[in-house]
Amino acid sequence: MKKLIVIVLALVAIGGVVGYMMYNKPHRSTAAATSDFVVSAPTLFQEFNTDETSANAKYLDKVVKVQGTVKSVEADEAGNVIMTLDAADEMFGVICTIPKEEAANAAIPEAGEVVTVKGVCTGKLMDVVLIRCVLVA
Amino acid sequence: MLSVLVLFAAITVSQAQDKYFTKTGKITFYSSTPMEDIEAQNKTTTSVIDTKTGKMEFAVLMKAFQFEKALMEEHFNENYVESSKFPKANFSGTITNLGDINFKKDGTYKAMVKGNLTIHGVTKPIEVPGTITVKDGAIQAVSTFNIAPEDYNIEIPSLVREKIAKQIKVTVDMAYEPFRS
Repeated sequence: MKKLIVIVLALVAIGGVVGYMMYNKPHRSTAAATSDFVVSAPTLFQEFNTDETSANAKYLDKVVKVQGTVKSVEADEAGNVIMTLDAADEMFGVICTIPKEEAANAAIPEAGEVVTVKGVCTGKLMDVVLIRCVLVA
Repeated sequence: MLSVLVLFAAITVSQAQDKYFTKTGKITFYSSTPMEDIEAQNKTTTSVIDTKTGKMEFAVLMKAFQFEKALMEEHFNENYVESSKFPKANFSGTITNLGDINFKKDGTYKAMVKGNLTIHGVTKPIEVPGTITVKDGAIQAVSTFNIAPEDYNIEIPSLVREKIAKQIKVTVDMAYEPFRS
C-alpha cells in the first residue's frame, strides 16, 4: 500500500513537471531551425502574387531563408527591427521583423545591402511577412 | 484584403497628399483574468487612411501575432482563430466625425470610427473611439476597444475558458506617413 502511494505521488510529480515544461516550452528558435526553403525575395513575393493559396500551402509556418536587397530598415521604440527587402515591385516587398534580442546581437544592415535572412513565413498582406527573423552571415 | 487593394488603387487616381499609409502598424491584444494574463503583438499591420473621405482600412496577418509563450501562440493559431484557414483579419471603416479633425493642422483630435471588422471569417459592424495626432505632416492614430471572441465564432474549450477573458482588449497604434506614388 505504501509503495502504491509513493508511485502515485511520483507520477503526480512527474506529471506536474512535464505539464509545467510544456506550458513554458520555448518558441521554436529560427536560428537553430533548418530552413525548409531557400528563395530570393522577388521570387517569394511573385509566388504569393501569382497564386496566394498555393503559396500559403507551401510557405505558411515554414522557416524560409530569403535573399534580397534591403529596401528600408527601421527600429521601433522597443528595439525590434523591421526590415523590408526589395521584391522587384514598386510598392511592396518582403517585410522581416527581427526581434530585439536578435537585433541587439547582430549588425543591422543598411538600405542597399544584399542580405540573407531566415524567418517564419506568416503569409502576404500587401507585402510578404516573415517573423522571428535572424540574419544569416 | 480586396478592399485594401481597391483603396490603394484609388490612391493613384486622386490627390496623393490626402492618403497616408503604414505597413508597420502595431496591434496588441490583451486578455486578463485572475488565472492568467495573455498578451500578443503584431507589428506588421498594413493600414491606409484617406484624410479627405475619412476612410480607413486595416489588414493584418493572424500568424504574425507574437505571444510570450509558444504554447499560447500555438493554441491561438491552431485552435482559436484557425489562422491557416483564415490567415487575415481586416477592418474597413470611416471616421464619422471627420469635420472635427483638421489633418492640415498639428494637434490631437478625438475620432469615432465605424465600420466592419472581419476575424475568423466572421464580419461584424463595430464602432470604436480613437485619438488622431497630427504632427509635422505625419499622422498617428491610436484606439483601444474590446471585442468578444464569441462574436467571431471563436470557440474556446470550457477547460481553458476561465483563463481567457470574455472581452479581449485590442489596442491599435498606427504611425502613418504620407503616401507618395
